[in-house]
Amino acid sequence: MSVTGHRLDRMFNPRVVAVIGDKGPGYTWLRNNMPFKEHGGALYSVQLDEKEIPGIEALGVTNYRSLADLPEPVDYAVVAVPRKVAPFVLKDLIANKAAGAGFFTSGFAETGEELGIQLQEQLTQMAREASFNLVGPNCMGLYLPRSGVRFSADVPVTAEGRVGFLSQSGTHGIMFSLVASANGLPISRCASFGNAIVLDASDYLEYLMLDDDTEIIGIYMEGIRDGRRFFETLKAASARKPVVVWKGGQTDAGARATMSHTNSLAGPRAVWEGMLRQCGAVATNSLDETIDVMKMLLNSKLPQGPRMALLAQTGGQSVSITDAFGKAGLEIPRFTDDTYAQLGEFFNIVGGSYQNPLDMAGTIQGNMETLDRILRIINADANVDAITMELSAMFAARQWKSKPETLEATLETLSAHMARSQKAFSTVLHPAHEAEYVASISPLFHARHIPLFQSFERAADAMARALAYAQR
Amino acid sequence: MTFASIVAAARAEGRTLLDEVEAKSILKEAGIPATAATLATTAAEAQSQADAMGYPVVLKVVSPDIAHKSDAGGVKLNLADRAAVAAAFDEIIANANKAAPGARIKGVSVQQMAKPGTEVIVGMTTDPQFGPVMMFGLGGIMVEVLKDVSFRVVPLEPKDAASMIDDIKGKPILDGVRGQPPADIEALRSTILGVSELVQAHPEIRELDLNPVFAYPDGALAVDARIVVSEAAS
Repeated sequence: MSVTGHRLDRMFNPRVVAVIGDKGPGYTWLRNNMPFKEHGGALYSVQLDEKEIPGIEALGVTNYRSLADLPEPVDYAVVAVPRKVAPFVLKDLIANKAAGAGFFTSGFAETGEELGIQLQEQLTQMAREASFNLVGPNCMGLYLPRSGVRFSADVPVTAEGRVGFLSQSGTHGIMFSLVASANGLPISRCASFGNAIVLDASDYLEYLMLDDDTEIIGIYMEGIRDGRRFFETLKAASARKPVVVWKGGQTDAGARATMSHTNSLAGPRAVWEGMLRQCGAVATNSLDETIDVMKMLLNSKLPQGPRMALLAQTGGQSVSITDAFGKAGLEIPRFTDDTYAQLGEFFNIVGGSYQNPLDMAGTIQGNMETLDRILRIINADANVDAITMELSAMFAARQWKSKPETLEATLETLSAHMARSQKAFSTVLHPAHEAEYVASISPLFHARHIPLFQSFERAADAMARALAYAQR
Repeated sequence: MTFASIVAAARAEGRTLLDEVEAKSILKEAGIPATAATLATTAAEAQSQADAMGYPVVLKVVSPDIAHKSDAGGVKLNLADRAAVAAAFDEIIANANKAAPGARIKGVSVQQMAKPGTEVIVGMTTDPQFGPVMMFGLGGIMVEVLKDVSFRVVPLEPKDAASMIDDIKGKPILDGVRGQPPADIEALRSTILGVSELVQAHPEIRELDLNPVFAYPDGALAVDARIVVSEAAS
């Protein structure tokens, strides 16, 4: 999808991509972007070093010795040249009427040295004057899975992406893309924007907010140049779709020398927290927290309140799941009398319990009709806002491994529940001693959009954040 | 005195920190409830101002060189009559001269003695990334030790004022504990929004503390005020 008229639209939907300054033996950037060529995009190389050219041509990519020789304007360029060459490349890109470029090149202001600062100033001025969409520098640039444009050969090419991600850090951009994809949260568009000398988080956020492919947005950032604009853009974006902000570098420096009490308490962490709340954004502190809350927001109904029904398999786990959800600030209420009456008709209380949490392994005994019956009763309970169910690697893996059709039946029962229920739902499957097996079946949950967590704590925190979002 | 003339006068003296009388005069102009405060330069002036205000009153030293008025013996509370006001005036001047020799002493502020309430702090500062931001918290040790405060970016909408009060951990204290009546949350919201509007209208304000504001079952009153303005006109 495109956002017609937006200044980033051409760059985010490229038909012509140029890789400038790639080098053997790996030709990393050309290889990263081969899917773009395979999808029918025009992929060019610009390299004047004679000894690199045969290797480039061996990849089937047409090389030009100068940007000026390119037969058409570039929509997105990857710039991987030494820093002193960067201004010349930028000049050629502007002359080419290129829509934008990601400058992988580093060694600018982030070094703190004079030449780096000076070169960054020069790039900034040139790009601003020409209204050129410079991504970075000192960044991994764009990852556009629909187009086949990638910042790493490890990230998938897919048209299924629903998650937009913006990252000041290149590592976090790639890591998030990999982990999100592996957790059933494919990327729609991702930008690693580094030093953000021209385009800042607000520019990308504005595009993702308007982009219909993107249903949810994540941001990793450490700071912002124009905080006012970010505040206003984040507020507008959060009104349209969930925005999850993982703020890095949160430790407040020591007390400031100041004349007022307020100023001495206004550490960056406290101010960011308040700002994010005010915008209706979701605040997280780590990659895992970001992935976890996105799983809930993208795949589950929103919790309508704090009252959890917890469905555990055994007595010990009933206590642990209660502790985890209680600690996250959620409530574990009594069910209604009607629920108790219905459960009492068939629940096996020998070695089990139908308080909240349910201790239900002995009752279900692998029978999906019984699980379905329990889910229907709990779902109808007026005291329940959301449901989390434990799956036990210990019990289930024994059965699922030998009879894969029983896993399929479980998934089908859970999917059917999620389809008819208006309440938030998630599952917990601790890998226990079956890490490899659990990893192998997790994609089945992701494919069915069933939120799956590896621990009670992570499921509880994700539910609490989803609730805070629902109540924003 | 209007905002512009107060700020111009302070800048002319090379000050960015407004004194309490100036700060409260700005609050009054903005319609933010605060205890009345006037500047007296003689004991007789203090007496006639106290007469007009009604007893009991509070006297506080006004000096750009004395930041911690209580520590300098520069605050006298609960003065019930003319004699007490005259004695307190002389004592404050003597204490101030002793505690901070050479300090510029403009005089003494005469203020209404507010009846006690739940102490909260309403503040504003200029954040390097987000510009003007507001702070709310419980006053006294809650803010000193526990740093139980919440922030919002100016301008605040009514819902922001409400949610920043809800955000503090000590909120149950405002809801009323152990038979105490609940504080007037609506009045606190209105003070917060009043400050948000004030600082939005006057970008010269860099920092502002209303500490404490007394929260009552009916109403809220800023008892101490401190405003820092920028050096040059902005």
